[in-house]
Amino acid sequence: MSLMPILTLLPPALREPVARLPAELQKRAEELRIREGRPLEIVHSEGYAFVGPNGNPLGQAAGSCIPTREDCAKLLELLTRHSIYSYEEELKRGYITVEGGHRVGLAGRTVLEESRVKQIRDVSGFNIRIAREVTGCGRKVLPHIMDYGERNVHHTLIVSPPQHGKTTMIRDLARMISSGEWPEAGFAGGRKVGIVDERSEIAAGVRGVPRFDVGPRTDVMDGCPKSEGMIMMIRSMSPEVLVADEIGRPEDAYAIHEAVHAGIRVIATAHGSSLEDALRRPVLRELAEDRVFRRVVVLRKGPGGVSVESVSEIE
Amino acid sequence: MIKLIGAVCILFAGTMLGFYQSLQISSRPRQIRQTIQALQRLETEISYGYNPLPDALFTVAGTTAGPVGSLFAEAASGLKDGGTDSVRESWSNAVERCWGSTAMKRTEREAFLQLGSVLGISGREDQAKHLRLAASILQAEEEAAAEDNRRFGKMWRSLGMLAGALIVILMY
Repeated sequence: MSLMPILTLLPPALREPVARLPAELQKRAEELRIREGRPLEIVHSEGYAFVGPNGNPLGQAAGSCIPTREDCAKLLELLTRHSIYSYEEELKRGYITVEGGHRVGLAGRTVLEESRVKQIRDVSGFNIRIAREVTGCGRKVLPHIMDYGERNVHHTLIVSPPQHGKTTMIRDLARMISSGEWPEAGFAGGRKVGIVDERSEIAAGVRGVPRFDVGPRTDVMDGCPKSEGMIMMIRSMSPEVLVADEIGRPEDAYAIHEAVHAGIRVIATAHGSSLEDALRRPVLRELAEDRVFRRVVVLRKGPGGVSVESVSEIE
Repeated sequence: MIKLIGAVCILFAGTMLGFYQSLQISSRPRQIRQTIQALQRLETEISYGYNPLPDALFTVAGTTAGPVGSLFAEAASGLKDGGTDSVRESWSNAVERCWGSTAMKRTEREAFLQLGSVLGISGREDQAKHLRLAASILQAEEEAAAEDNRRFGKMWRSLGMLAGALIVILMY
């Protein structure tokens, strides 16, 4: 996959050099970082490079393409479809998700109201994270989390540092569970899957319709806060498996308890470099003490792609 | 004989000129009113509908008739997905292309252009404020334009014919 889908989001001055990057580099690209007055940078699986005016990757900052203030203003306009007013909530949180599920992190000067962030003004730093669909990557994890007794999956927590493929993993797990691609026979078909996609990253919903393949029996609550979305799903959509990304707030724990007591299996992710690391966070520790999650999978990205570092079984 | 035909032509042309001027004067307040209504609709689209600006402009253009409608349609067409125009650029291009076919004047144009430089680039409340400001400027202009229409509308109609008649008299 090249960088084509994100090219239309870039202002002309940046579109040109990025489009001319070597195809092989475009395929490996993970992040495009745009900082006002500083060199244009591309982060790929093996490191980073600055981008020259002709799309030539450079090892040093000198001679690379420098985005101007106008470029940044225009980029923000194009990212928000000329409608900053409809992204107020996202600007408060510091990121927006654009068509295709690519998340764009924002940095700049914040505007405070009653000492809470109201908005980011003068956005001068953008991190465009390129979302990729890796069909089949769930095969590495699914065998570890199958519940043979109940013919379903266990409550599972997937832990990895940022950029190590958590979201890609649960997207593919949702697809496999939904379409019934079990690694072993005897599970008879897919399950009803509910995805609560707070940041539109898992399913890359456009006007509520998922753009990524998340399976035929999957419902997506798009752009909805996780806790509320999970409760809504439990009440109305009768899912058998609930999928949510990056849990960590107290109300998430409440929603997960609700789901568990309703007999719904939960697959969730959390940031952390190891199990111990993740369990240092109060909400996750509490969930672990209640023995909610039966499987904790730690992912690690190496040269050969994402792999399973460890699987803890909690009975 | 030829002189007579010429005289009729001049009389006719003078009358038409007068009617045209009077029409221009009477369509100005109407078009300003249409623009105000369009801006109010845009405010609703933005404040309550959270609609992205290109869609909101298309909706507004669809419900506004005549040259004012095409002004909004032109501004929206520059913002289609994959384009690179900013709102300010697309807006001023639309004004450049379509303003000539409206009967509105310089003051309205300034207010309209001013709006284009802030549209879409701030929060909801701020957008509503800017839209209301532009509408209130236009409101004041509309009153002046309506007054002009009352005073000069009829005058132009008779003035055109009378001017034609004067030329004819001078010719003979």
